[in-house]
Amino acid sequence: MKKWMIVVMTVLVLFSATAVLTAQGARETTEKEIVIAVVPQQLGNPVFLATERGARAAAKELGVTLLWEAAVVADAPSQVQLIEDLIAKGVDGIALSCNDPDALRAVIDKAVANGIAVSTFDADSPNSKRSFYAGTQNYNCGKLCGEYLIELTGGKGTVALLTGNLGQYNLEQRMDGFKDAIAGTDIVISTVLSCRDDLNVAITQVEQYTAANPNLDSWFFVGGWPFFAPPNSLSNLLAWRERPNKTIVTMDAFLPMLSYFDRGAVDVAVGQDFEAMGRLSVEYLYKVIKGETVPEIIDTGEIIVTPENYKTFKETMVWN
Amino acid sequence: MKSDVAIEKPQQKVSVFKTIVGNQNFSIFCILLGMCVALAFASPKFLNSSNLFSVARAFSYIAIMAIGECMVIITGGIDLSIGSVFGLAGVISTMAMTKWGMGIVVSIFVGLAVAALVGLINGLMITKVKLPPFIATLGMLSIARGTCFVLTRGYPIIFLPEKFLVLGQGYFGIIPIPVILMLVLILLFTILLKRTVFGRRVYALGGNEEATRVSGVNVDRLKLTVYCLSGTLAGFAGIITASRLGVGQAVAGTGYEMDAVAAVIIGGASLSGGRGTMSGMLIGAAIMGVLNNALVLLSVSAYWQQIVIGCVIIIAVTVDQLRKK
Repeated sequence: MKKWMIVVMTVLVLFSATAVLTAQGARETTEKEIVIAVVPQQLGNPVFLATERGARAAAKELGVTLLWEAAVVADAPSQVQLIEDLIAKGVDGIALSCNDPDALRAVIDKAVANGIAVSTFDADSPNSKRSFYAGTQNYNCGKLCGEYLIELTGGKGTVALLTGNLGQYNLEQRMDGFKDAIAGTDIVISTVLSCRDDLNVAITQVEQYTAANPNLDSWFFVGGWPFFAPPNSLSNLLAWRERPNKTIVTMDAFLPMLSYFDRGAVDVAVGQDFEAMGRLSVEYLYKVIKGETVPEIIDTGEIIVTPENYKTFKETMVWN
Repeated sequence: MKSDVAIEKPQQKVSVFKTIVGNQNFSIFCILLGMCVALAFASPKFLNSSNLFSVARAFSYIAIMAIGECMVIITGGIDLSIGSVFGLAGVISTMAMTKWGMGIVVSIFVGLAVAALVGLINGLMITKVKLPPFIATLGMLSIARGTCFVLTRGYPIIFLPEKFLVLGQGYFGIIPIPVILMLVLILLFTILLKRTVFGRRVYALGGNEEATRVSGVNVDRLKLTVYCLSGTLAGFAGIITASRLGVGQAVAGTGYEMDAVAAVIIGGASLSGGRGTMSGMLIGAAIMGVLNNALVLLSVSAYWQQIVIGCVIIIAVTVDQLRKK
């Protein structure tokens, strides 16, 4: 190895060591502070940005140090590792959105055994020892979407489903709720597509399937992936929608989606209050850490966005 | 190492039939054709020109990335960072035009420049620090993706200028612009690889690095160029995709490096270097694109799709191996 390379390497090692030690020192001076870690499913999904906002606001109010940590992609094993690291770090509370209810159970129980207050939001792990779940009842949301679809279509016709990652608990629950709602009607599910949480794949699949099946009657998006892109990216879907008796029901409600409401392209969007999830998770975890008892389920409710009310929704929506 | 595959002899006069059957892309082309015929029977919608162009557009991003990956693999290396560079260039370009007040053309060049720089750093780590390409680009995969998140904080970059969207959403006649860009680039790089000294050296490098070095070729500079091109092409694909989707995303292109590698390998390249063609890679990318389309058109259960894709990759390469024996 050349000499200059050894010098560069040494400087790099010293630099990282200094950074780590500085961070450590900073932590020790604030040792008495309560530290709560909030762990969304992944960094890449923008719906969690509202959660971060809510959590940070609550943390600031309570004087709590907030850590916002997650892997880049939604994946249970890396989330387990992250929780292990947080246990080792000795945080006081962890709020997480589980990538898989069973895969996360053992590590949640381990954290609880280590005296850490643990809660879930958005996606629950109901059989674990977590203190509470703050979020939407995903099953109910899916069911609500099914009921809207029945109302809009008169309970007949074909519907195509687009989901994200297969086996993800909250998405499976929504689909279960949806399927239970349409059971006994003449609505038939023609396909279930999985976009693996990839916007590019979501749009390609929706466009190709819609073009190939002009007689399809409805779409149910189990999450709002396609609507992060502007309307001209979904030209096949919009052309299909122009024809009579075509219905689009979707989960999630966020700002970029509203341009589809401007064009009258969506019938109903059932959104979750991600900001409340972050805020309430931190507030209630704080109570748990202080030894108070809290309810096991904290329902953050649903946001129903329709062509009639979307403009008021637009005003309340914050987008950085 | 295999020095015997380094030099190609395309100019021999043999019968047309033998030329066709003997072509190294023959077996995978048959697989592609077979898939298309089967799919045309199974779903009458498949042969609609709009569907075919939609399929071509969907795999054009992967094919453009795979041009660079193909050259890297021919040199005997690998570039795992291209999926992240794809995302990074998309993020940089879209941020430049929406947040940093730059013009559309300048923004695109800034994105490309960053992608080229990332490729250059990969090349430097491989040639100067002597890191194995797998390690250097694996590290870069993480660094480039992390940079996307640092820059965007996870927020998608939206409200892109209408004119920029033409690049990914526009048509030339009835052909989507990304498809034309893909074909032009593949043609250019085919000529570069087959008809220039640079191209011959790329094959020679993968065939036998020591022999190439001893024969007076500046191997390090060659590698730097190849990794730099790989980064630039991945960045270009990322910018086109951002235009197609109308949004710059920090997660765009996650895992796409494996799709590009698969396209190159299905296309007859060897991971040990010295072998591979642009036309083969194009067929490889098309096979994956048609396969994805088939799974959507035929309503194959999403639970089975991953298995089917894996099986087709293995079958395609196996058939190619058998033919070569």
